Amino acid sequence: MASRARRPRAATRAPEGSPRRRLPMRLLLPLLLLVAMTAMLMLRGYVHSEILADHRVRSEAGSDKVPEKILRGGPVIDTRNGRVTSLKVPDHRLVLTFDDGPDPTWTPKVLDTLKKHHAHAVFFVTGTMASRYPDLVRRMVDEGHEVGLHTFNHPDLSYQSDKRIDWELSQTQLAITGAAGIRTSLFRPPYSSSADAMDDRSWPVTERIGTRGYITVVNDTDSEDWRRPGVARIIRNATPKAGKGAVVLMHDSGGDRHQTVRALDRFLPAMQAKGYTFDNLTEALDAPSAHTRVTGADLWKARAWTFLVQASDNITAVLVVGLAVIGSLVLARFGLMLLLSAVHVRRVRRRRFRWGEPVTEPVSVLVPAYNEAKCIESTVRSLMASDHPIEVIVIDDGSSDGTARIVEDLALPGVRVVRQLNAGKPAALNRGVANARHDLVVMMDGDTVFEPSTVRELVQPFGDPRVGAVAGNAKVGNKDTLIGAWQHIEYVMGFNLDRRMYDVLRCMPTIPGAVGAFRRRALERVGGMSDDTLAEDTDITMAIHRDGWRVVYAEKARAWTEAPESVQQLWSQRYRWSYGTMQAIWKHRRALFDRGPSGRFGRVGLPLVSLFMVLAPLLAPLIDVFLVYGLVFGPTEKTIAAWFGVLAVQATCATYAFILDREPLTPLVSLPLQQILYRQLMYVVLLQSWITALTGGRLRWQKLRRTGVVEAPGGPVPRQRDRGGADRRPVG
Amino acid sequence: MTTRGHTQSYGAPGQEAAAPKRPGRDRYLDLLRSIALVRVVVYHLFGWAWLTVLFPSMGVMFALAGSLMARSLNRPARGVIKGRLRRLLPPLWAFSAVVLTLLFAGGWNPSKDPDHSGFWGLAEMVNYVIPIGAPPFPWDIGSESGLLEATWAEQAVGPLWYLRAYLWFVVASPLLLWAVRRAPWATLLAPLGLTAVVGTGLVSIPGETGNAVTDFAVYGGCWVLGIAHQEGLLRKVPRYLAVSCSTALMAFGLWWASGHLGPEGWNLNDIPPAQAAWSFGFVVILLQYSPSWQELPGRLARWDKLVTLSNNRAVTIYLWHNMLIMATVPILDSLYELSFLQSDTAVAALDSAYTILTFVLVWPLIAAAILAVGWIEDLAAGRAPRLWPDGARKRTRKRPVRRGSSRP
Repeated sequence: MASRARRPRAATRAPEGSPRRRLPMRLLLPLLLLVAMTAMLMLRGYVHSEILADHRVRSEAGSDKVPEKILRGGPVIDTRNGRVTSLKVPDHRLVLTFDDGPDPTWTPKVLDTLKKHHAHAVFFVTGTMASRYPDLVRRMVDEGHEVGLHTFNHPDLSYQSDKRIDWELSQTQLAITGAAGIRTSLFRPPYSSSADAMDDRSWPVTERIGTRGYITVVNDTDSEDWRRPGVARIIRNATPKAGKGAVVLMHDSGGDRHQTVRALDRFLPAMQAKGYTFDNLTEALDAPSAHTRVTGADLWKARAWTFLVQASDNITAVLVVGLAVIGSLVLARFGLMLLLSAVHVRRVRRRRFRWGEPVTEPVSVLVPAYNEAKCIESTVRSLMASDHPIEVIVIDDGSSDGTARIVEDLALPGVRVVRQLNAGKPAALNRGVANARHDLVVMMDGDTVFEPSTVRELVQPFGDPRVGAVAGNAKVGNKDTLIGAWQHIEYVMGFNLDRRMYDVLRCMPTIPGAVGAFRRRALERVGGMSDDTLAEDTDITMAIHRDGWRVVYAEKARAWTEAPESVQQLWSQRYRWSYGTMQAIWKHRRALFDRGPSGRFGRVGLPLVSLFMVLAPLLAPLIDVFLVYGLVFGPTEKTIAAWFGVLAVQATCATYAFILDREPLTPLVSLPLQQILYRQLMYVVLLQSWITALTGGRLRWQKLRRTGVVEAPGGPVPRQRDRGGADRRPVG
Repeated sequence: MTTRGHTQSYGAPGQEAAAPKRPGRDRYLDLLRSIALVRVVVYHLFGWAWLTVLFPSMGVMFALAGSLMARSLNRPARGVIKGRLRRLLPPLWAFSAVVLTLLFAGGWNPSKDPDHSGFWGLAEMVNYVIPIGAPPFPWDIGSESGLLEATWAEQAVGPLWYLRAYLWFVVASPLLLWAVRRAPWATLLAPLGLTAVVGTGLVSIPGETGNAVTDFAVYGGCWVLGIAHQEGLLRKVPRYLAVSCSTALMAFGLWWASGHLGPEGWNLNDIPPAQAAWSFGFVVILLQYSPSWQELPGRLARWDKLVTLSNNRAVTIYLWHNMLIMATVPILDSLYELSFLQSDTAVAALDSAYTILTFVLVWPLIAAAILAVGWIEDLAAGRAPRLWPDGARKRTRKRPVRRGSSRP
């Protein structure tokens, strides 16, 4: 194994790339990406009040602990430095206050109306909204209005701890500073009304907020515009009695506010005609401004906050687009797969369909083996049952477990063993081709078991002289475990529907190493197997395409292969596949500009393969990210419904694939679980391949640890014929 | 997966009788029982509802008990049931004696208790001896200012429902085993069906009988799973099938729970169908992956003694733990009397650490209970009483050598 890993190869190895340092890096990057993305989504959920929101509202409590003068006093309550005073707005002055904003739709209209009538007002903004719409806050300040805090996400403060209250204040202040570069000393508690509604629960909060340096502003004239009672009613509600001054409560956010805007447009000139002025609070009280400029580190901290919130909104928007792209890609792929598979099935299952003259000439079967002691015997014995004339060549690639000896000891007719020093699978296959006597060459893995008809079915397409290579139907033998069942679904659905589709599109990307057949001339013309990539099967298939041969799929040529049984083995297998596919695509990239069949493959096959096998899986994690986001913050039921919708589409495809392959449908019960465990593993592997590709790392190739399970139930080959036996699985 | 022989680790039934120490205990199952016990204690201490989702202890314990019961039932049923009762009842009697003494000393007179008066009220007292139903107890005893909380009786007697359910299951086991052999799938799923009827309010049986039937239905699935595991039935199902189906069942349980949250939110104990589905699925997965350990592997090995001890004293721990949690209250309250803990900051620190202190204190109390009454379990099982059965070998010649080498 070690020697195989150190095969001399393209020297792309990073000079500093010691295995000990590279591995954490590969894990670290996807992890960092995930953490960053999650943090951004959390931030977004947070400023959209989708997390930490607290919608409880305290019912009224007693008021015997509230000072009498506060209950009877004005709406501006000053509890700073132990004071207990309250102020009223002087006569003929109105302070309009707008709560809960800024809102992207209605706040600009309110601001426009105020500007038109040269009025000033006070906006009590929430931290969430101020973080999301900093431009509006800046405009308020620039146009002479005052802003005040209305907490970060509008909880009833009487329920909150002192810590939380402090945090609500400072976080909102941060948002305002980030937007407009100022601090404000005005505060209005959520769910507040007038001073005489202060009770034993809200008064301690008011006192506490005073100690933090804020003036609490409640109202004395409630326009009740949030009820949308009609413009006339809002105006009547907002008009104080007999020329008195007032703090008027209105809202510029939280729903449709067109009544508020229209009421303002009439209310302002009407009251101005009565001699009222519309000032902001400190103007009305002839006090110094509530705003102070912020400079230095505090300002930059606040700007960073605003920037991050904006970024999270933008990134989320990009991610949503990505989700739409991946969603349509996945659906398009399923549609294409179903359609083209149906075409393929109609074509090859037609009555009296023939590739050409029946192929009866003998075939050379190459079995490259590296430490396959556990499986090689059943592999070779399964070939002995073949109903097609064959010679078997086992190429022992320097095994250390006596693989070659096992085969020789069987002393089977027509089986030869060729030994070589460990040189890798491509070299072994090339050696096998050199030793093969026949013009048709079948290649299989040392851990694969053929059915008696596999070879015959596999070579029939060679009746058509244009066919240069044939892909067989690889099946998972050990599918009783969860991981086995998942791979079984993947093989039947992904690979076999895929192969039909690619067959019809004439751009089959891979002939599986477990079961494939080649014309010797096709192999020779492209120079045989190469070890340029980790996926020599993909590489050779692409090369044969480019040489102008057809590559087709023989569905009846079934081969039973032993799938990895541990996550780790599966991981290294898939890592090799996906990285090898990338290498092969890169190797054959120039086909894009070629003429003739090579160009056709380059312009149809390569983009399709890149899209479906390399790019789409890169976006696939978005589905899960949004699934989790939707489950936690979002519309949970809709999210679950959407997930089940996608699952239904997949189940449909999978069922169709299983029926085409005449497989029992029971393994499909593990499909839902596959969606939440297996798929993620696959794209983490792909992500790692990407990182390897981008950082120029090189992959060690780990061999599957064989358990020899696939052979287990069948035993001696002749018994494999009666596959209906109740005591064994339909595995050779 | 040609070898998944959990059964090999169990000795044949005859062997068990011959060798009282049971050479081949499956440590995996022992570990599960220990985790379940600790989970129960922690849950009763902190009252965290989510613990019922994290690890459905009762379901696991019933499954393990069902498995052991099925294993014993190779012998004549009558003798097996008798043996189970003989092992269960003496520890209960000890517990009942203490509780009743405390209750009577507290001034409780069942014949004058409006809730339990009359002939049937007194007849219910039998449940302190043979737990066919729930034993009677006063809702309030003592006064608010007393050492214990006024509801201590309810807290202490509350866990007895498990013994009642266990008794029912033991008696029903020969029938259940027969049914499992005749119609395995129907028997496995029947308790879930029964839960759907009696646990959803579709049919409600009033009073204690209703509780007993509901418990029987909710945990019956787990008990039967234990039997099926012992019978080798579970091994015949492909793992992917078992895991996928049980995951779906668990998802259903969570979904049902989300729509029927009780007063404590996600406390599955208050939501019978969710509890049944979640426990059933959980147990299937635990038993499917049952690795059959002869000894605890790797890092788990350091817990070996505790696992052994808690398994040998499972009934004692279960019976007494809630009462001991109650007993921590007066002990901790006495801390406030200490002269050096009178400052405001000290009182505040005590207040905030109260639950943690309870948690710390309850384990020594449980250890004390094991020392005090644990040996009754041995007597009940017909063994020589042991004080501290943690499986540690008796002092041998090797020990000083080992100690010397590891701790210089």
